[in-house]
Amino acid sequence: MAAPTVPVTLQERVNTFVEWLFDDYKATTPKGPKVFNDALLGNLLFAQHEVAVIDCPLLQRLRRIKQTGLVYYVFPSATHSRFEHSLGAAALAERCFDAIQERAAVEGNGISVDPDRHKGDLAHLRMAALLHDVGHGLCSHASEQIYELLSDLKEFKNIPQYATNAPGEILSYLIVLSPTFQNWFNEHVVRDCHANLDLDRISKLILGKHDDPDKYFLANIISSAYDCDKLDYIARDSYYCGLALTVDLPRFYSMISIAKYKGYRVLVLRNYVPLEQILFSKMTLFGSVYHHQKVKCLDSMLRSMIGHIVENPDQASLPARGVNVSFADPVQYLYVTDDEFFCQPAGFGDDYVRSMLNRFRHRNLFVRCLEISRRTVKNWDGYGRQTLNDLAKLPNELSGVEDEIHKCLPAAFRGKCNKHDIRLSIPGLPGIKTGNALIQTSKDSEIENIEQYFPLEQWTDAYAHNKWRSFLYAPREIAKAVRDAAVSVLKDLCKMELDVEKSNQTCHL
Amino acid sequence: MPIAKPAILPDHILSAVLTLAKRAREAEASARKRLAFRSHDFQLQEIFSDLQKTGKYPILDAFVFSDSGPERYSPALNESVSKLQLSGLIGRENPDYEVVFLRPAADRFFDEVLSSRFSNDLDQLGQIANEFLQRVEIIDNVG
Repeated sequence: MAAPTVPVTLQERVNTFVEWLFDDYKATTPKGPKVFNDALLGNLLFAQHEVAVIDCPLLQRLRRIKQTGLVYYVFPSATHSRFEHSLGAAALAERCFDAIQERAAVEGNGISVDPDRHKGDLAHLRMAALLHDVGHGLCSHASEQIYELLSDLKEFKNIPQYATNAPGEILSYLIVLSPTFQNWFNEHVVRDCHANLDLDRISKLILGKHDDPDKYFLANIISSAYDCDKLDYIARDSYYCGLALTVDLPRFYSMISIAKYKGYRVLVLRNYVPLEQILFSKMTLFGSVYHHQKVKCLDSMLRSMIGHIVENPDQASLPARGVNVSFADPVQYLYVTDDEFFCQPAGFGDDYVRSMLNRFRHRNLFVRCLEISRRTVKNWDGYGRQTLNDLAKLPNELSGVEDEIHKCLPAAFRGKCNKHDIRLSIPGLPGIKTGNALIQTSKDSEIENIEQYFPLEQWTDAYAHNKWRSFLYAPREIAKAVRDAAVSVLKDLCKMELDVEKSNQTCHL
Repeated sequence: MPIAKPAILPDHILSAVLTLAKRAREAEASARKRLAFRSHDFQLQEIFSDLQKTGKYPILDAFVFSDSGPERYSPALNESVSKLQLSGLIGRENPDYEVVFLRPAADRFFDEVLSSRFSNDLDQLGQIANEFLQRVEIIDNVG
């Protein structure tokens, strides 16, 4: 199967993907509104035009992408999808909108927003929340960590307009603005469902922007320190992982308001406690779930497969309805969902890909060979950690270190493994962007940054000091040899002296 | 060797600026052995945003600032602070964690890694360091 001609720009490639996705889709106009019963948020009512979008391939595709990637191998109930999260985000965006209106009325702040569900500000807000994750691909953030370092998206991130946006948000924005989706939307949503919606406005909201400074808080509802995305995923992920974290959404909404700040009307909190609760839950999720050593192992194994496919596209790429997916650019990650990637009965690609798929099928995972942490690094006060952390941002250099470990293996072990079997996982700190987290304790008081109220830095400092750990992973049969090779390579390249005995206590080698 | 490649990341620039700021203060008075200053992350954003806006320091373009909303904000700067903290090059003082200080590892990282990578930009980085010192509240009663 010949690979399609690669269009020049990221926008063009995104449009080619949307064309491919809608290729065999015959839209029918929904009969009317629909109620979805969500396990977390209860009954959620969607209008006819929203149901049209929910039924379209862009949203239906999200049913096949798990919200937390491969986490369900560790927390078995975490099989919730990007689809239900998108529905939840739309519902929470409206709750936030309603709470702002209610408080504005009580406090006597005049705000002029249109709550019409078919054409007004609320309609645009809900649609932006519904579409905010359509740019997610295979295994959600697990693959986002890989493709964000590809040149296309790095160039986008250098444009001020996109500087604050995650790679998935940029892809969502480009999908929503693609000519193919715009044509479909104007025909089946605007015309057939009589919804007067502007995709340009919706796409800007997805990026957390609004042209009208007086309505900038609407953008904050979609993208900020306490946006509808975060409120939903923190509550949803903890619920499905079985963690008893408290995210008191009604309390949060009772404390939200808007205020004029440097010429913009922005979201503010009347009390910092609800936000503190959200951020504490987020830190706990990072420590317990997202950075769980087995979850990082699974992410690393996915990187092994993708690394192999990228280097061997002729023999290892994945056929997906007429397109050969080789993961060479960010858009290729959109063509494949989790179900399609992991559930091919005969596997796909070459022997290595098939053997790795088999490992996932039987949960025969790589093991920890080496722990890199405050406990195991003898020269913890040196700059080795900086050199190590640099690798997380430099994929070629990281692969270089992994290759070097592979080369240093005794010949007998080297022959038993693929170079992609050796994976160094270097997590960062939980991202807490507080730039737009503002507190105003009463209508007339000063607006201050959240950092002036409680020491977020203390949390991240404590996390860096006590919770942060990197691991080296490999198949069990070569784990000891990989460990020994890595100790010497990391000493040479990263100036890190590792205490193997202490590392063995957690790695059980 | 992969690590030997002279890749320059935004956190390298921040680390170099802070180290040169420390050395500028040492040059003024040799008793000063440590750089500590009072700054929340949002205040660092303001300082570097202002310095970048002057247009005098192209090296600061690595901190891409968003151009929408009430405040300019650079995720790259935010991540740089986190990364230096995670790597143990900077620390935070108790009790309110508002005071940032440079750890000795930053000096060694500068001497052994960064100084050669920045050999053509040291003047520019030194000027940024001096301007930085004028814009932060230095804490003298430590170190």
